[in-house]
Amino acid sequence: MINISLRVNGRNYELNIEGNERLIDVLRDRLGFKSVKEGCGSGDCGLCIVLMNGKPVHSCMVMGFQAREKEITTVEHLGDEDNLHPIQKAFTDVGAVQCGYCIPAAILVSKHILENHENPTQNDIRWFLRSVLCRCGSYLRFEKAIYEVSQQVR
Amino acid sequence: MSGEEEILRRFSAIEQAREFYIVGKKVARVDSLEAVLGKPIYTGDLVTGDYVFVRAVRSPYPHAKIKKINPEKALNMKEILGVLTHADIPGENDAGSLISDRPLLAVDKVRHYGEAVALVIGSSIESVDEALAKVEVEYHPLPVVTNPIDALKPDAPRVQERGNLITHFKIRKGDVEKGFEKADIIVENTYRTQFMDGMPLETEVAYAIPEENGRITCISSMQNPFDVYNKVVKILGLPAEKIRVIQAATGGGFGPKSDETPIDVAAYACLAALKTRKPVLSVFTREESVTVQCKRHAFIIENKTAATEDGKLVAWKSTLYEDTGAYISKGHLVIARATFHCTGPYEVPNVWADGYCVLTNNTMAGSTRGFGAPQAHFAAEVQMDILAKKLRMDPVELRAKNILIPGSLTATSQKIDDSGLEVCFRKAVEESAWHQRRREYEEFNKRSMYVKRGIGIALLYHGNTLGPEGEDFANVHTRIERDGTVIIQTGLTEYGTGAITSLAIVTAETLGISLKNIRVERPDTSAVTSAGPTVASRTTVIGGQAALDAAKQLRSRLAEVAAQVLEAKPEDLEFKDNRIYIRDSPERGLDFKHVVEKCYEAGVGLEVEGYYIAPATKWDPETGQGEPYNQYTFGALVSEVEVDILTGMVKVLKMTAVYDAGKVINPLGLLAVIEGGSIMGLGHALTEELIHENGIVVTPNLHTYLIPTTAETPLNIQSIAVESPGRIGVFGAKAMGEIPVVLPMASITNALAHAIGVHINETPLKPERILKAIQQNV
Repeated sequence: MINISLRVNGRNYELNIEGNERLIDVLRDRLGFKSVKEGCGSGDCGLCIVLMNGKPVHSCMVMGFQAREKEITTVEHLGDEDNLHPIQKAFTDVGAVQCGYCIPAAILVSKHILENHENPTQNDIRWFLRSVLCRCGSYLRFEKAIYEVSQQVR
Repeated sequence: MSGEEEILRRFSAIEQAREFYIVGKKVARVDSLEAVLGKPIYTGDLVTGDYVFVRAVRSPYPHAKIKKINPEKALNMKEILGVLTHADIPGENDAGSLISDRPLLAVDKVRHYGEAVALVIGSSIESVDEALAKVEVEYHPLPVVTNPIDALKPDAPRVQERGNLITHFKIRKGDVEKGFEKADIIVENTYRTQFMDGMPLETEVAYAIPEENGRITCISSMQNPFDVYNKVVKILGLPAEKIRVIQAATGGGFGPKSDETPIDVAAYACLAALKTRKPVLSVFTREESVTVQCKRHAFIIENKTAATEDGKLVAWKSTLYEDTGAYISKGHLVIARATFHCTGPYEVPNVWADGYCVLTNNTMAGSTRGFGAPQAHFAAEVQMDILAKKLRMDPVELRAKNILIPGSLTATSQKIDDSGLEVCFRKAVEESAWHQRRREYEEFNKRSMYVKRGIGIALLYHGNTLGPEGEDFANVHTRIERDGTVIIQTGLTEYGTGAITSLAIVTAETLGISLKNIRVERPDTSAVTSAGPTVASRTTVIGGQAALDAAKQLRSRLAEVAAQVLEAKPEDLEFKDNRIYIRDSPERGLDFKHVVEKCYEAGVGLEVEGYYIAPATKWDPETGQGEPYNQYTFGALVSEVEVDILTGMVKVLKMTAVYDAGKVINPLGLLAVIEGGSIMGLGHALTEELIHENGIVVTPNLHTYLIPTTAETPLNIQSIAVESPGRIGVFGAKAMGEIPVVLPMASITNALAHAIGVHINETPLKPERILKAIQQNV
């Protein structure tokens, strides 16, 4: 067992984990953040993306111990039913949700884009969102949602 | 006529005339909130406490005799709780979704790569994975057949006990030989499409929980809970009430989740739960899922088409070979749909078509969004473009001379009674500025040496809902709680299409209430009866009628009670804005909630079952002639592409997608379905190909089987809906779920041909295929 401390969604945790536990396992199975999804386990689909120190990472490709002393954000931290985060609201308003399985990852990547680009271009959006597969093909909806939020911010 | 019937009849008349209240308005999906909040709603999110794992030992051979299975080494491992083979199945070893040709666990033979041979149960997933390799299976490899044309040869290896030919589907209209004699021009081409994967991003998953009373509850990701339920009952050999199946939120369906693998994964979990009396999680890895999940069928289609010199089609002959893999699944139905649509949406006086559904040792193919229509339309629509080129005609001009208009007869001699195709076609040409763009790109190509551009079009018709594929019924159970909340429950499922929101919209419309007062509950086999399968884009169309039936019954009951209070006639009441009021004096009314309360006080039940069954369709199996479908969706797709002729890389710049939705129930949902289907179809056109090497799947993951990302998405997809009402759909709605995936292969191929001067008859349009075509064309 390895002892690690990390901060997830604004709360500190001290955990004993196995050496072969991935960050996704720590988040889902130990801490119950079920918004993190596994679609492939090989870093292809991007559904397990979380923000680690503000940057998107595939939590299936990061070992649990590598998250030591890191700050992790998942969708659970963004908003709740009565107080949606602007990105969550925009995703709902533009009809981005189809099967919903990739939505948590797409929202986190969108958050990263919006926090790092004041006025993201279509190219910026596509560059980052390439990392999240959506088989329902909601990509243009995601783009529209990000665009709408960037307009509000301005 | 009883009072209730009278009100229903009058209400129907009102409904025809009135403006819609919610239908066709932009509303958010009923279930989108849970998704954006990342709520634990999918099967894998629901596991808790002490549970165990089960996974299948799979065949490394595409065709082999099983001589011996020795689980001893696996059983000796510490965390392993059991190994099951076919001999341990208490009920029947039958996991075919419609046809019982497929065992859950192989008996004496495996027929495709990855076929399940045994199950390993263990307390950790790591131990199970390790134990899979320790189950010793002795195989004797057999000769393999991997091509449907080879499989039809008399000396071909037999995949099953029966012959390899499963279905010979025929269309015989007019005299095709005479048609060819009269023709001025004949084109003959062979088209090929590959096995493709629906690739829902949530893999197959089931969670089985044994209960104290001996019942097993199975929560799972699927399209058809009752198919899963019926098979699991049969496999476990238990009384039906000992199994309960609940559909969790489902991370994509696209067809395969209506086929065999959702049965497999649920049966594995339930068998393991029966053996261990512990909750069991059964989940496919991505590799397992891509290997064994039912595929889109690979097709070889030979088209011979004849026309007069002024471009009138006179004869069409098609031979379709459909590779359904080692088990039939839905192959016998897919070949029918493909063959029915083999001429594309054109009137051809003489048609002869033979569709063959054939077994091979490839991985099993079944239902995938479009169900044979994308392959048939690819072959028909590229053929039309080649014909136009031979006739030195603009592709649009040739199509205009032959499209199905009111009064036209389809290949099955079914008379078309609406102008949906004409309208879609005209709009697509106008909105894409077809003629102008075509000229511009031709000018551009003269100037540009290495980058070429092109524009292409394809048209479709799509026989709606099940038609010949089964009983086209649905039921929807609706009740109103005392607080006024309306609860809808049905065996129809949501897996991304948004169709369940349509049921809520239809209900809200009929009862004049807001969508937020409606709750849709998860399908549960212990709470509702089967509503038929959630396939064939039929939930809005057929399920919507059942939802309407239920809502009308409730409306009639509410109207009677409200009428007494308001001292009015029930048929004079209007339902709108959460109120029930007298139509001609709107100030005299009651809150919806108040009337619900009055019903409860008066003992008027507010729980009903809505039902609808579409008229049975008729056609002659010897000639294919008749009316196989109750109505048709029409559509047109224009694609604009850019290709680098040094690398062979294609980029789709823009799509103009026009579809006849009959009546748009949920515009925001439809927009997502059109865009999403176009993008999925773009993947089919450019990159998607499940490759078998002598029966072995060599692209079992998302880095070798490539689906579109934002990088491949066209910069702009212009989605346009037209409304030419259908005969059976709710409020005139037509099927839309599958339809946008049908045309991209054809439309993009035709656009590429405009850019490089040559049509490629095989998908996907990979760089090497494009470069070869350019070289051969020089």
